[in-house]
Amino acid sequence: MSRTVVELQDIVVTYRAGFLGGEAFDAVRKVNLSISEGETLGLVGESGSGKTTLGRVCLGLLAPTQGVMRFAGAPFGTLRQRRGQLSVVLQHSEWALNPRLRCGASVEEPLIILGVKSDERKRRVAAIFDSVGLGDGYVDRYPGQLSGGQRQRVAIARALVTEPRFIVFDEAVSALDVSVQAQVLNLIMDLQHKYGFGALFISHDLAATRYVSHRIAVMYRGEIVEDAPSERFYETPDHPYSQMLMSSLA
Amino acid sequence: MSALVEIRELVIAYDGAGATTRGLDSAELSVARGETLAIVGESGSGKTTIGMSIGRLLPPEARIESGTVTVDGVSVVDADSEALRQLRRDRLGFVFQNPMTALDPTMRIERQMVRAIGGKPSRDAIAALLRRAELDDPDRVMRSFPHELSGGMAQRVIIAMAIARSPKLIIADEPTASLDASIREKVMDTLGRLREENGASMVILSHDLRLISRHADRVAVMYGGRVVEIGECATVLERPAHPYTRALIAAAAGNEKPGQRLEPILGAPPVLRGPSRKCAYEPRCGLARAECANSRPEARLVAARTVCCHFAEEVAQAASDVGEARTE
Repeated sequence: MSRTVVELQDIVVTYRAGFLGGEAFDAVRKVNLSISEGETLGLVGESGSGKTTLGRVCLGLLAPTQGVMRFAGAPFGTLRQRRGQLSVVLQHSEWALNPRLRCGASVEEPLIILGVKSDERKRRVAAIFDSVGLGDGYVDRYPGQLSGGQRQRVAIARALVTEPRFIVFDEAVSALDVSVQAQVLNLIMDLQHKYGFGALFISHDLAATRYVSHRIAVMYRGEIVEDAPSERFYETPDHPYSQMLMSSLA
Repeated sequence: MSALVEIRELVIAYDGAGATTRGLDSAELSVARGETLAIVGESGSGKTTIGMSIGRLLPPEARIESGTVTVDGVSVVDADSEALRQLRRDRLGFVFQNPMTALDPTMRIERQMVRAIGGKPSRDAIAALLRRAELDDPDRVMRSFPHELSGGMAQRVIIAMAIARSPKLIIADEPTASLDASIREKVMDTLGRLREENGASMVILSHDLRLISRHADRVAVMYGGRVVEIGECATVLERPAHPYTRALIAAAAGNEKPGQRLEPILGAPPVLRGPSRKCAYEPRCGLARAECANSRPEARLVAARTVCCHFAEEVAQAASDVGEARTE
């Protein structure tokens, strides 16, 4: 496989309640993970298992208490240095997009921050709207005028417009209807084929995760209890907790 | 014995800014006593509208244009507010999607339970009810505010409230959609067990086909404000006779083999302004022919289920061919 985009070594994240000496809680315990270019890693587990915390570490939003996070082979550095190289798509697209900005303006914003010239910006925004399957007409619409599936496409366009090397999808299809969910999952796979980004797909829905991912990591109480190719999750996975998750799919 | 719920030719319209939208387009549905019926469909298909019409729990902009809804002998459409109140209080129990918005955040669970039960129930009676909903530490739950409970516990409190007055019908709108995959099954089991203990019927509104196939007796598939296919779960979900049901099953992740691509349903569900004179699914249907655009398919019995499609025999036949090929 090609180059590693995100590498986690012995990551521990401890949350403390209260000021000095308060109760400590390890949300993530000694996690090792790596995600390559063009690869999707699925991360499944129940609420409170540390999925979202781990996602935040991968995005550099949260410094781990212990351990090393490397991005494209180098230490992560500051977020400012990583502008445009990583991105995120969240569950609720209605909160992820500014309701008072037209969709085109929302998608253009990351490019303005990167200092891309105006005509180049217009060209790239039009191209990315085309890639996510939305026509020209959507550039001038407000998020409130779109359906849930269309809004999630705009959110994906915004995440992709800088051509990042890594994207976190945090419950990105959980709020969508069955048929729209299938459209968005197919879109994510097609776009990955085209742009070659590495992805972390966080979800508690094993069915959607195994469909879109190459590998799946199962998280339970802050630890990765199983990390296996998705095909394993069409048969019988090793860990009892994974098997329990599988039973809800039978 | 007559059915518990009878919905006949029900038309419900939503008055929006400048335009009226049809939520239900002459929908028909009946719920037998003691059965669990699931209603599935995309957003906008009318499943919530038909579910909530049973208790006339519709938003103010909804207008019942014609048709009848009879619940346990009470005509819901004509009932005055006192009769409706009695119906909702004594015969219906509701479980909503998000327990955190269904519970009052400013009130401890004990007081909310008192209101749900009515009268002056003893602490023991409340604790017993919570225990029936499989909450192990009812004293702690009663002292808590909703935000101090987990989602699963809060949903169990809602379930306890729904069954508090031994309703004849439980209406559950996406009861587990806001819960974790790992506790969905347990919560559904609790709900099913309590339904059985009460001898009540249950209507589940959901788009989780796997959940439904395990917990419902019959399934009704809604599209364009009508029930387009209804029958036993095993019959409908394994050998669908309506192209929409087939497409819905094909689009759900979980049934595919490794490397196989899901087939989303192209296009968007229709927004009806008036009665549909053709098959509402015709623009998205791969099998559509001239007849589909010209005449509205009426409900008829095909291969042990009721279905609204001109070519249901062909679809059912194709489905059973595939089924046989798979078993061979």
